[in-house]
Amino acid sequence: MHLRLAPDNDSVTTLLDALEAFTEAQELPIKAASRLMLLADELAANVVMHAHGATFFTAELSREDATLRFTLTDDGPEYDPLGRGAANTQGGVEEREIGGLGVHLVEKLATTADYRRADGHNILSITLDAGAD
Amino acid sequence: MQITQSQSGALQVATLEGRLDTATAGAAETQLMALLAPPGLVLDLTKVRYVSSAGLRTLLKLAKEAKAKSASFSLVGLQPAVREVFEISGFDKIIPAFATFQEATA
Repeated sequence: MHLRLAPDNDSVTTLLDALEAFTEAQELPIKAASRLMLLADELAANVVMHAHGATFFTAELSREDATLRFTLTDDGPEYDPLGRGAANTQGGVEEREIGGLGVHLVEKLATTADYRRADGHNILSITLDAGAD
Repeated sequence: MQITQSQSGALQVATLEGRLDTATAGAAETQLMALLAPPGLVLDLTKVRYVSSAGLRTLLKLAKEAKAKSASFSLVGLQPAVREVFEISGFDKIIPAFATFQEATA
């Protein structure tokens, strides 16, 4: 699967609809499919929010046996969303904040997550277990 | 995201269907906030496939508003991927979740 999209919120919905079709065509187990869509949502929303000046982003998804590889590329300013510190996952309702939680989910649920900057592009790639159910 | 409203005794019940994610969380929050009043609100998430961090933000705001209004706020029917996200983010410790509707409304 390869999509080239405008960096706006409608594109996130377009991407998720395409991923849902992919997971159904591939007959992925429910947990693998849901994790893929969740992480794609987090990462694409991050691109849309932070890539001011980007003119596009692309989403690529491939499957190699038991591994799913999902890669997002955009031409916005350099931005590495990974490794920005742990989110607060303790404490009561009153003191809980949400900052960093999306990245926390990516780091916990992806098998690997890598960021690199190349040729003026942000390239973020994750791998996932295609058999998780 | 479809939200269907009903009542169980004095409690408001909202049944959600679809994805609670970046694209849908804002509109869902507006609708659910309007339903939140004492004695409380139960969200049925049986037909919600996953909840992203934007969805978690909405649930946290509802939980905070429920405290402020002295209303109860609970969830029913968390799917495996939703339960996983709750555990990773520690939400299982701050928002009560029940396996069945009967337990949530008991």
